Amino acid sequence: MSRDKHQRRLLPAYLATGSGTASLPSTLDTLTALRASGRPLASYHTPVHGRVVELVTDGSLTAVEIAGYLGLPVSVCLMLAEQLVGDGLLNASVPTPDALAPSRAGRPSRQLMEEVLSGLQALRVA
Amino acid sequence: MDSKPSVSPDLRPAYLPEREHQRVKILVAGPMGVGKTTAIRTLSQIPTLHTEEVMTDAAVGTDDLSLAGLRDKKTTTVGIDFGRLTLPGDRIVLYLHGTPGQRRFLPLWEGIAFGALGALVLADTRRLDESFEVMDLIEERGLPYAVAVNIFPDSPDYDLEIVRSKLDLHPDTPLVTCDAREMNSSLNALIELTAHSISSVGVGVGAS
Ligand SMILES: Nc1nc2c(ncn2[C@@H]2O[C@H](COP(=O)(O)OP(=O)(O)OP(=O)(O)O)[C@@H](O)[C@H]2O)c(=O)[nH]1
Ligand SMILES: [Mg+2]
Repeated sequence: MSRDKHQRRLLPAYLATGSGTASLPSTLDTLTALRASGRPLASYHTPVHGRVVELVTDGSLTAVEIAGYLGLPVSVCLMLAEQLVGDGLLNASVPTPDALAPSRAGRPSRQLMEEVLSGLQALRVA
Repeated sequence: MDSKPSVSPDLRPAYLPEREHQRVKILVAGPMGVGKTTAIRTLSQIPTLHTEEVMTDAAVGTDDLSLAGLRDKKTTTVGIDFGRLTLPGDRIVLYLHGTPGQRRFLPLWEGIAFGALGALVLADTRRLDESFEVMDLIEERGLPYAVAVNIFPDSPDYDLEIVRSKLDLHPDTPLVTCDAREMNSSLNALIELTAHSISSVGVGVGAS
């Protein structure tokens, strides 16, 4: 997701100070699942970093859900998560193995979509 | 940021299934008040989440992220709704993203639309033209979509074929009526979209 347009997004002022990586477009997907690794926070982590880690200590959530629970914009949450993954405090898992296939532009494979279709049909009947 | 509500301690987040699963994104798009939030609430199995994205109308350089720089820019806040739907068997978790349909929110779109299975475009027969902008955006991204017409109490009684021609839809693009307040009706719209996305694999989508 290294698109230039991401750089147009605004950061809250509190993130504009400190880490120089904040202006880099995120390499994480919005549906990347994150879970705390158990490694403790370092002195350079902010309280917001701490809230992210705490939220996913007992289970995994995607970046968008973390943003929703913590009242952060998704773009900000992605950057916090990226820093925390880089620092070894969060483990990340990709939304689908297909996200690694550049030919589909990150989009789900036919097989996965067929599973989605039958799952939706099963729900409708229920 | 201190004014932002934090998670209340007794509210355990709806964590993802522990077993291995895949997560798939679907967009729910359309003009203001067309029923995006309603459809996502209907379909979601968890309390829907909401984020506020901050954007500037003008392009901001990367060296411009200072406090002073922020104050000088005209900013817009855009709300996005998120819902989650785990399919039977816990192998696939669908995420529904309610996305505002205006072109000026394009920077937001890029990240949200990346990797989506497709988009469900909601339309209101009283103002069909208001869905054009979002349809253009989706087409430009090569994302498959289906159109769901929500019927409101004072909606004119439209023939779907007339709606199809007014929207200038491709003959293959699914067009359904939908009551966003109803589960089966909303599921049906997602089913149409998914079937369409499957049939458009290899027809140039995602190739760019
Ligand atoms: N009759 C009928 N009413 C609907 C339907 N979908 C939504 N509504 C009603 O329309 C109103 C607006 O719906 P929302 O879901 O808030 O619309 P939205 O697209 O999220 O609107 P914005 O977030 O402002 O862009 C609500 O009062 C809903 O109850 C529908 O399918 N049929
Ligand atoms: Mg809404």
